[in-house]
Amino acid sequence: MSEYKGSATVDPGSLAAGGGTASLVAPAGLAPRQAQAGGLLGSIGPVVRAVHGWTSTYFAAILLLMIAVGIALTGFQHGYTLMGEQIKNALVLGAIYALVAIGYTMVYGIIELINFAHGDVFTAAGFYAFAIASVLHLDGLATSSFGGLLLALIIVFPLSMIAAGLTGVVIEFVAYRRLRDSPRLAPLITAIGVSFLIEGIMLVVEGPDNVTTHQASWINGQAFTVAGVSVLYTDLFTIGMALFLMFALGAFVRRTRLGKAMRSTAQDRTAALLCGININRTISATFFIGSALAAAAAIIYSINYGVLKWNIGFHLGIIAFTAAVLGGIGNIVGAGVGGFLIGVIYVFGGSLFGGEWSESLIFAVLVLILTFRPVGLFGVEVTTRA
Amino acid sequence: MVKPTRGVMSVGAIAALGVLAACGTTSTPTTSNSTAAGIAGCHGTITVATDLPLTGGDATDGPFPQLAAELAVNQAITAKLMGGCTLKYISKDDSTVLKNGHDPAQGAQNIQALASDATVLGVVGPFNSSVALAEIPVASTDHLALISPSNTNPCLTAVVAVCSDPTININTSSLYPAGHTYFRVIASDVQQSEIDSYIAYTVLKATKIYVIDDQEAYGRGLALLFKKYYAADGGNIVGSASLPGTTTTFATQVSLAKSEGAQAIFFGGTTGNGCGLVRRDMGSQHFNVPLLGGDGCEDTKFISDANSGSNTSEAEGSYATSAPDVTKLASSATFFSQYAAAYSAKPAPYNDGTKEPYTAYGYDAMNILLQAIHAVLVANGGQPLSDPTAFRDAVVTQLRQTSYDGALGHTSFDSNGDTTNTGFTLYKVTSGNWVGVNTYAVDTSGTVTVKS
Repeated sequence: MSEYKGSATVDPGSLAAGGGTASLVAPAGLAPRQAQAGGLLGSIGPVVRAVHGWTSTYFAAILLLMIAVGIALTGFQHGYTLMGEQIKNALVLGAIYALVAIGYTMVYGIIELINFAHGDVFTAAGFYAFAIASVLHLDGLATSSFGGLLLALIIVFPLSMIAAGLTGVVIEFVAYRRLRDSPRLAPLITAIGVSFLIEGIMLVVEGPDNVTTHQASWINGQAFTVAGVSVLYTDLFTIGMALFLMFALGAFVRRTRLGKAMRSTAQDRTAALLCGININRTISATFFIGSALAAAAAIIYSINYGVLKWNIGFHLGIIAFTAAVLGGIGNIVGAGVGGFLIGVIYVFGGSLFGGEWSESLIFAVLVLILTFRPVGLFGVEVTTRA
Repeated sequence: MVKPTRGVMSVGAIAALGVLAACGTTSTPTTSNSTAAGIAGCHGTITVATDLPLTGGDATDGPFPQLAAELAVNQAITAKLMGGCTLKYISKDDSTVLKNGHDPAQGAQNIQALASDATVLGVVGPFNSSVALAEIPVASTDHLALISPSNTNPCLTAVVAVCSDPTININTSSLYPAGHTYFRVIASDVQQSEIDSYIAYTVLKATKIYVIDDQEAYGRGLALLFKKYYAADGGNIVGSASLPGTTTTFATQVSLAKSEGAQAIFFGGTTGNGCGLVRRDMGSQHFNVPLLGGDGCEDTKFISDANSGSNTSEAEGSYATSAPDVTKLASSATFFSQYAAAYSAKPAPYNDGTKEPYTAYGYDAMNILLQAIHAVLVANGGQPLSDPTAFRDAVVTQLRQTSYDGALGHTSFDSNGDTTNTGFTLYKVTSGNWVGVNTYAVDTSGTVTVKS
């Protein structure tokens, strides 16, 4: 920081001095520079900067306004029943994105690594849940009665989350720990490698086609109808479970010793180490929690959609990563909100402009964030190193 | 059973073909021998070939039509179809390790190599439309007949509305630098979409439809053609979406279709790209209208995908058109039993021709080629033409006049080289299986008729 400031203060001086000597020797040499500053481009420059600055400042407001206009347009064009249905679709999709996005953001916050393998941990966790449910015959239990369903959920969620959490810890220990102090590119490439490795294993074990998990039959039926929009129990479960897990994580990070250790490690690893925080254990815990949340998202996904495929995680992961960037990478609340916003953009973009534009819109938003507000919507309090 | 090709075939040739046609006529090699007198004095070598993907990811597809074509050649050799001439057979593989399956570049190389052998008069292949794009220009330049058992891309033979679409982008005329030497014994997606449109509008009585495609050349092409014919039939397309194969939920589109009052959803694409998942999402939104798909949807994966949602029998009542199940045709029974007898020593599944839909297509394609060569020999006094290029041209000209009854039923070619045997069967999911409902045919004017 100080070095940069120093050179910045020196620069104008040296330029002025240069100008002075140049005017003695060759005045024409500096002429083009001055002409540019006074010409058309020169007058556009400040305007562009002002627009950029203004857009950056009000980026969140502009984005939310556009989303609101999109939702309202859908209502005007196709009726409010469709608008309501699409809001429901968006929230369900957003809940899953949000839970996956939190895993990306936690890992980035603490070791500044984009963990590309996270999306594949999501898929693997879905298959763990499928295996656990098959071995323990949970399908019959879950569909037998409400109590049976609760019991099945109480069994499958913790077991899958622990299994996925351990997968995350192992990945960190084997693939990332030794590269922690290497140049940033090294762990990034390793992460992509781990991603391909997990995908390859799942392709071999589960085959190339969709695998039916039968978990979509766990929760059945319509909860209620609001203005013609039928809300299913699965919709309520998905959104409710996602919100519960996010608030539980928020409380954990704010209230517990480990949470405090995670926050301080994210802020300054060396300082945290000096304060006696076990860095390795804290980072392992972060991977554990992030992966466990991916497992929860995978079970919710499976209960919603009933199928898993070896490569769904990579694609879903990239969209969830965009959600994390939108919220401000490293910021847990931001990732949660970002996930829901991306869900809304995906669904309403597809509804207004046609499904082929859904993903284009999401990645257009990613480009806009990186251009106008690289720190994301909630990125104010993120570590300055980002 | 066997109709003579226009004016050039002797009575003896017809009897000889009775064996090939496999229609149950009880001709024996001895009778064939005695009646093939016109070309008994034939001198020289005649070579036919196949170019199909035989290894890698395509090892479950290509070997079936290849073995069937080889069977046709062996039967012709036994029956001395070429008289005193030696009939040779070459099998080329267009798969490469690099692509783990069919490779257009390898296909073009194979055709080039075959064309440089002056005795080669025709090739059965290729299997994949992408390979055909690379092979057709080579075959055209070298006057070599190419008969595909399985290419369905309509743009290979004729310019239709969809060929200029960015996802397909095929300039048909540039495929034929010289003559038109390409034929196929399977109907193209033009005919399939005409039949799909007829089914949606007339059979299912859906006047409003929502169309989804999977952004791939096959699926998008089928959907675009479907939209064209459905609008021409008088139907109203209330919306459409083009989604990548990675799409995991179609809830947005199903909601839209529901809100627009669609009476059916048409899916152009494959099960791997979400055909069954559309049906699943229709179930979770309680949108109870028919789903209609093309041959990419008619498989068991569709049923398991559609039933994966909260409704575990959601697949019931879904529709898809697909190639007629030739294993059920009376005309194919003899062929399949001959195949089983000839290849009983092969490892499973190659010992059973019914395991692959295109087996009989490979058999008929080779027989049509052999029949044409035979007719040219007969017309030339039983001798091969001295100029190899003229000989190949004569075979192509003869193929245009094909009128052949084989395992697939009656085949002839239109001016584009497309088969006139255009049946497609409408299948419906009933008690967890795809069950054939009706078979439809479409003529060149686009009129659809119920065949069975």
